[in-house]
Amino acid sequence: MKGDESVIVRTVIRLMAPFIQIYGLYVIFHGGGGPGGGFQGGVILAASIILYVMAFGIEEGQAKLTEKINMIMRTTGLLIYSGIGALAILFGGKFLDYGAVPLPFIHHIPEVRAILIDGGVEVGVGITVMAVMVTLFYEFYPGGSIDD
Amino acid sequence: MENVFLFAGLVLIFASILSLYRVIYGPGIFNRIVAVNVIGTKTILILVLIGYIYGRPHFVDIALAYALLNVIMTIAATKGIEV
Repeated sequence: MKGDESVIVRTVIRLMAPFIQIYGLYVIFHGGGGPGGGFQGGVILAASIILYVMAFGIEEGQAKLTEKINMIMRTTGLLIYSGIGALAILFGGKFLDYGAVPLPFIHHIPEVRAILIDGGVEVGVGITVMAVMVTLFYEFYPGGSIDD
Repeated sequence: MENVFLFAGLVLIFASILSLYRVIYGPGIFNRIVAVNVIGTKTILILVLIGYIYGRPHFVDIALAYALLNVIMTIAATKGIEV
């Protein structure tokens, strides 16, 4: 499947994919003060992988991001999200009650709390959404399947 | 100064309506793909102008997302064409 797109498309996508991923990370971490959040950033991150697979073929795409790593990322993101949620329950709050989690030395700065706790949840959601989108794309792309 | 941007936005919306005619009635698939791409590019500019007129700089982020992700639509549409 290599070389089924023109050299212009492949070169442009190889140049653009890192910028799309940087922008996806920006959207994930900037979700508190602007448009975006974990889901949107995860979709943008997945879009870079989808673009890469459409230009270079399914074999090279799955060599970059194998299905095993993809499955590990899927479950790890879910574990981060629900782990932070359950951490708030352990300290006496409700599920995902960020204010109940005590931080050792820096608890009086609200920005640090926002970055550590809320950012952790956003990262978990972003990783999970990215891995699920890439899995759906691998499943429906001609020539690719996840039955390994 | 805002009136200038408002006028520019209205002109861009009119131009994208003209491109929409080419999307609907255009002969062949390539005319339609190029017309959709033109509408996507105009959408980026309209988003930036709206962000300036209403004083919301966050619209630039959304315009960046459009600019980075418009490529996917074009490439995915051209994958299904057999010349």
